[in-house]
Amino acid sequence: MQTTDPLERYSRQMRLPGIGKAGQERLLASRVTLCGCGALGTVLANALVRAGVGFVRIVDRDFVEPSNLQRQVLFDETDIAENLPKAEAAARKLRQINSTVTIEPIVADINRSNIEDLCHDVDLILDGSDNFELRYLINDLAIKLSKPWVYAGAVGSEGMSMTIVPGQTPCLRCVFEAAPAPGEAGTCETAGVLGPAVGVIANFQAAEALKILSGNLAAINRDLLVLNLWDNIIRRVRIAPLAGRKGKCPCCALRRFEWLEGEHGTQTTTLCGRNAVQVSHRRSSRLDFETLAQSLRTSGSVTYNKFLLKFQLNENGEFYEFTVFPDGRAIIKGTSEPDKARILYARYVGY
Amino acid sequence: MAILVEIPPPLREAAGGNVHIQVTGTTVGEALTDLIRQHPALGTKLFDNGQLRPYINVFVNDEDIRYLEELQTPIQDGTTIALIPAVAGG
Repeated sequence: MQTTDPLERYSRQMRLPGIGKAGQERLLASRVTLCGCGALGTVLANALVRAGVGFVRIVDRDFVEPSNLQRQVLFDETDIAENLPKAEAAARKLRQINSTVTIEPIVADINRSNIEDLCHDVDLILDGSDNFELRYLINDLAIKLSKPWVYAGAVGSEGMSMTIVPGQTPCLRCVFEAAPAPGEAGTCETAGVLGPAVGVIANFQAAEALKILSGNLAAINRDLLVLNLWDNIIRRVRIAPLAGRKGKCPCCALRRFEWLEGEHGTQTTTLCGRNAVQVSHRRSSRLDFETLAQSLRTSGSVTYNKFLLKFQLNENGEFYEFTVFPDGRAIIKGTSEPDKARILYARYVGY
Repeated sequence: MAILVEIPPPLREAAGGNVHIQVTGTTVGEALTDLIRQHPALGTKLFDNGQLRPYINVFVNDEDIRYLEELQTPIQDGTTIALIPAVAGG
């Protein structure tokens, strides 16, 4: 693109009173890590790169699949034919959109051992993930390093978002003390997802990001936004008084980073010679097999008794069998790769 | 006017598929008791040994009961009680 003024491409954005030339220059100098590049992540990356955020690190562990295309706006059929990882496929598109910013694709599973490396050198962390484990991990790190982050989630026709600025707003754990148990919240695989719902909520997140990065912290949304596009519900609930939860929030008040320190979350063990991986999940209460079975029946065949639940699944021609135990542990047959097993666990058991 | 409870999608199956359910009561606790009387399957979804499950957030006219009077928070005709669990997915 040949223009005399490199800022010309941002001229319409700079016309916004809150941004102007100074705000645009701040955007160009700012750095973001995007955790996850699925439905939320592709919308976020698209918005940020077009807006001229100078450095965007995109971390994702997955590959592009046909069932992604309905909502994951940066991907197309060529990416599937080339079997591209999402981070790489996104980076290729984004570089065509804006060659003047730096995009760093990283194909990795974000976990407590690498999250600090991936996020220590940025101004803002964005949640493009699809599971609570990563969100609590992001929350721990963001509070620890005092970096803002923007949460969003979407399932079915519903979406929700909140903006976390350490020391100024409640953190994720002030508001959501605990995540729903596996199988109780619904995932995009078990409950489906409406493309526009996740698009709206991700664009809302993107606007929050642009406010923070352009130096407009006063303009951020301090409520929890909840919308359901099918039921025509738009709600902003007041969460500001929950900040620090009267000095008892384990994360932002007591600074106990339980997810970062590995007290919660999943661990994987490859079961040698069995083409299976065990995913252990630390939780205090027992799984409700009836609820989990109900949510899984739309995706495959399920049987259960008092001791275990079996779930058989055919995903894109690959056959997997889950054996789930009441403590949340699962043995996933059909793969020997821990990352794939974690993806499947998050996708179907839903954590 | 009435008191309405807004049911989030993951709980609707246990609530007969309803988005809104009309209840009676003078506190949030009473309203939820009436809700469970109408739809018993919601009982274990909302409570564990008499305690609200930690991932179910309850908002009364868009204010969180945790900074009001928890389950003792008074309500009146016209109040909307929204049950809001965290949304995964994305």
